[in-house]
Amino acid sequence: MNDNKSTTEPENIKKSQDGADSRRTFFKRFGIVGAAAAAGGAAIYAGLKYEESKPNHDFVKVLTADNKLVEVPRDQIKKIKLDEIRVKQQGRDGMAGRRWVMVIDLAKCRNARKCIQACQGAHHLRPYEYHINTLLMQESENTAPYYMPKPCQHCDNPPCVAVCPVDATFKRQDGIVLIDNERCIGCRFCVAACPYSARMFHWEEPLMVEGDKGKEYNIELNVPQKKGTVSKCLFSADRLREGKLPYCVSACPNGVYYFGDENQDAVTNGTTKETFSLSELLKINGGYHLMPELGTKPRVYYLPPKNRLFDVNDATANEKI
Amino acid sequence: MKRSYLFFLFIGLFVIRAPAQEWIVPAENGSKLSPFAFSDSTRMAGAVLYNLNCKSCHGDPGMNNVVKLVPLPPDPASAKMQGNSDGAIFYKAAEGRGTMPSFKNTLTASDTWRIISFIRGFNENYVQEIAKKLAPGASFEQVKLSLVWMQENNIIQVAVSALKDRVRQPVAGAELKLFVKKYFGNLPVGEVQTTDNKGIALFHIPKSLPGDSAGIVRLLAKAVDETAFGEAKADTSMAIGVPVYRPPLNQERALWNVGRKTPFWLLFTYFVCVLAVWGFIFYVMLQLRVLYKSDSINKS
Repeated sequence: MNDNKSTTEPENIKKSQDGADSRRTFFKRFGIVGAAAAAGGAAIYAGLKYEESKPNHDFVKVLTADNKLVEVPRDQIKKIKLDEIRVKQQGRDGMAGRRWVMVIDLAKCRNARKCIQACQGAHHLRPYEYHINTLLMQESENTAPYYMPKPCQHCDNPPCVAVCPVDATFKRQDGIVLIDNERCIGCRFCVAACPYSARMFHWEEPLMVEGDKGKEYNIELNVPQKKGTVSKCLFSADRLREGKLPYCVSACPNGVYYFGDENQDAVTNGTTKETFSLSELLKINGGYHLMPELGTKPRVYYLPPKNRLFDVNDATANEKI
Repeated sequence: MKRSYLFFLFIGLFVIRAPAQEWIVPAENGSKLSPFAFSDSTRMAGAVLYNLNCKSCHGDPGMNNVVKLVPLPPDPASAKMQGNSDGAIFYKAAEGRGTMPSFKNTLTASDTWRIISFIRGFNENYVQEIAKKLAPGASFEQVKLSLVWMQENNIIQVAVSALKDRVRQPVAGAELKLFVKKYFGNLPVGEVQTTDNKGIALFHIPKSLPGDSAGIVRLLAKAVDETAFGEAKADTSMAIGVPVYRPPLNQERALWNVGRKTPFWLLFTYFVCVLAVWGFIFYVMLQLRVLYKSDSINKS
């Protein structure tokens, strides 16, 4: 360039004098610079966008279904909806090869009411809405009073199911009597038919109607509850599927409840988690059914209130305080 | 005068009440120590166990998100929990009180110690004291249990062996427990048995032991003394039970069952009644037709 400078100088002067030519070069240069700036800006912007969209590796600990603790990048988590039809069908079918059975030891019940609270918490019920009732019993004037928790008996010959006109309440292969609140029309035939008064009716909007809005209905938990339908004890069918004891059974502080599978001839105490042979437990303690003369064949056994060496009003005596 | 009397009575009641709420741990339990040193691996295992068994009430340690129960479950990172000795935490978790469940039948001693190691991870000032190693010869390494089914006399034979001087040798005098695994817990079979000089203990199996539909039973054999034998156990399935098959409870035809399981007597009665009503209507129609025909014949 420098070599050419001397030779081209007169031309340059000429050109600089020429207004049109200098404007053209100016615009030419301006165009190049402008295009470069635009391209650069676009590149920076694209880079910024890419940085934003890039996964940020923020890990979340997740417990898998088979109890393994794994880490997953936060942005990789996808919320999935439960397969509603499948969940509903497995709720109707029940668990194959099981026959759930509950044993209630009346000798140990002190009306601590923990079972009731756990049940109401799980099924979103008000403090005066019961799936389990605890009744104060006295056989005669001269015998000692005792408390009797009374959940649904999950009869093998359920009169409540027979009267349902819409197939909303049903018995499953594992013996649990459930109710589908989405089918129930609120006729309350089942409430009238049940000899154990185990069913309740939602006269008012359920307790957590706002919080449960949009939640998928779980037939094995009866949540969200629905106004104008019947609700009842479910033997905590959702917990059994996970291999856990029902809410009431594991909440009892006094070892009243035993729960297990009749096919395995074993029941586990909810408080001590000790496992016993069902047939032996019933034989040794003289287990019995409630109102067997009705032919309802309940799945709940009672052990008689023997050797109760504490006051009936002493609710906390066994809490080892 | 009378007021101050009431005041002292009130204070007096509190003084009497206060120790009643304290959870007193027997001295020999309170001084118990973990048989192994707490490390990152025990803390990791403890975290998993904590989340499964404790978190639902005690919340996340240090986050103060415990469930509002009466009495309030303490946060594991709090001074109230950390003020306990290792042995005291172990005792309270194992025994339980009131709403705190007992874990002695659900968690093994080693798993409970792992949870304690996880809890201690939230205490910077904690220095662990490890239980003294048992005298040489009193603890065993690489303990193995094996189960053999002796069908002719209904006995399960459990053989215990351990490494000693780099040679696998039978262990005599080991106390063993045998369980059958059930859906919610382990059912003990018979009493605790002690191994003989050949390292063998025998458990009599009841003849009516129910198995699944093929008679398969899951057996679990464990050493009672975890400090000497570690977590040695044998977990096997064997076809030693009585096959149990009971049909599903909603299989029979009954009034309460679904439409396609209607009882035959109901189907019969229903169809007879329907046929009778329709039959009567058809009969009347037929008679009317006969009358009409005879009338038209008469007219012609």
